[in-house]
Amino acid sequence: MNTRIGRTAIAIASGAVVIGSLAGCATDQSAEAEAAPSTGSGDTSTTTPSTGTDANDTDSSATSSTYTDGDYTATGEYSTPGGREDVTVTITLADDVVTAVDVTGSATSGNSKQYQSAFISGISAEVVGKDIDSLDVSKVAGSSLTSGGFNAALDTIRSDAS
Amino acid sequence: MPAESATLAFEAIGTGWQVDSRAPIAADTVRRMNAVIEDFDRTWSRFRPDSLVTEVASRSGEWTFPDEAPALVELYSAMHAATAGAMSPLVGASLSHLGYGAGYSLVPGAGTLASPDWDRMDWDGTRLRTRQPLELDIGAAGKGLLVDMIVDLLEQDGVEQIVVDASGDLRHSGGEPVRVALEHPYDTTKAIGIATLADGALCASASNRRAWGSGLHHVLDARTGEPVDEVVATWVTAETAMVADAVATALFFTPADQLAGYVDFEHVRMLTDGRAELSSGFPGELFR
Repeated sequence: MNTRIGRTAIAIASGAVVIGSLAGCATDQSAEAEAAPSTGSGDTSTTTPSTGTDANDTDSSATSSTYTDGDYTATGEYSTPGGREDVTVTITLADDVVTAVDVTGSATSGNSKQYQSAFISGISAEVVGKDIDSLDVSKVAGSSLTSGGFNAALDTIRSDAS
Repeated sequence: MPAESATLAFEAIGTGWQVDSRAPIAADTVRRMNAVIEDFDRTWSRFRPDSLVTEVASRSGEWTFPDEAPALVELYSAMHAATAGAMSPLVGASLSHLGYGAGYSLVPGAGTLASPDWDRMDWDGTRLRTRQPLELDIGAAGKGLLVDMIVDLLEQDGVEQIVVDASGDLRHSGGEPVRVALEHPYDTTKAIGIATLADGALCASASNRRAWGSGLHHVLDARTGEPVDEVVATWVTAETAMVADAVATALFFTPADQLAGYVDFEHVRMLTDGRAELSSGFPGELFR
């Protein structure tokens, strides 16, 4: 079974990240609100994201999955200027493709709570398409802080799912 | 990365580091590396009460900075000119005003605070003279600079096949090239492209990660003290990590062609609307 998890509600309007509290905000598929404040059409309903009804629209190679489909959850640790914190990552896998991501933080220090809320709000506008193992890389260059814990959680999910 | 390589992981200047090398690094070299890091932090950290930079922020005066200062101020001077003042080592006050200062209050003050003009200081090589307290912040190039200093030390001590990874700032010296995923700024499970790094530096900067509220992050325009929009992430390759790091920040303010006359680099730049640009000589590709 392939429960779709709550996705981060973010709106990107000229770069301003609107913080929607992720934890527990379930289900809204049109999480990516393309707010277009200057268009004046007043139409708030977004174009339906390509969620459709079935995830495997055009997947031709559905047979050879490396990972078992389903939801996986793991927790990773990372360090912040305020001490060690963790993030919990849940991923939905279907045919080796990540179809949904959910991240919650359990920060204890005030600073990290703010870091985490900002981090969480910035993640997962569209998390569909790349095979989890498709890139043969030894390094990732993005940024720092929370990504370390995030990657640690991902590694755990990988081993759980294979 | 050869399978038999050795790895040393540690935390320094507030972030995670990993040093890979062909063979384990000698204990004496590690000790000297730690000393370099401690000296660097003690000089440049805005977050330490006992740092030189904290002293500079407390009163006007005259100070002597360590040997890495001349190259740093020269680079900052070039970036300041190239970005028409947007990038400045005096952005510390603006950052503190928005809550990113000592103590990490992360509580923004009212509005924004422009940084002092460059002419408020006279910084020549290792000598700095000021006429007022000034909050120096070398965050745009500092981590890269420390990466370079560590690589220099390791090379001097005969360490081979080095990869230093300081959470976003990478430098490679000798051995097989490394393949690096360019992490999607909105989704760390994805990459927007890939780079191959060999004998040089690759630095990434993203405005969305070290963020502490809506529209508040650590990449500020020194002229206004406001966080910048439009560019969400940059990746830059250059000979040194200091240059790559600085350009990765400068690209938030300034198109690549305006920077090209000052330093040599290649880059990827992603905008908030999801488009990304790639310089023709970038050692990698974008997924489109």
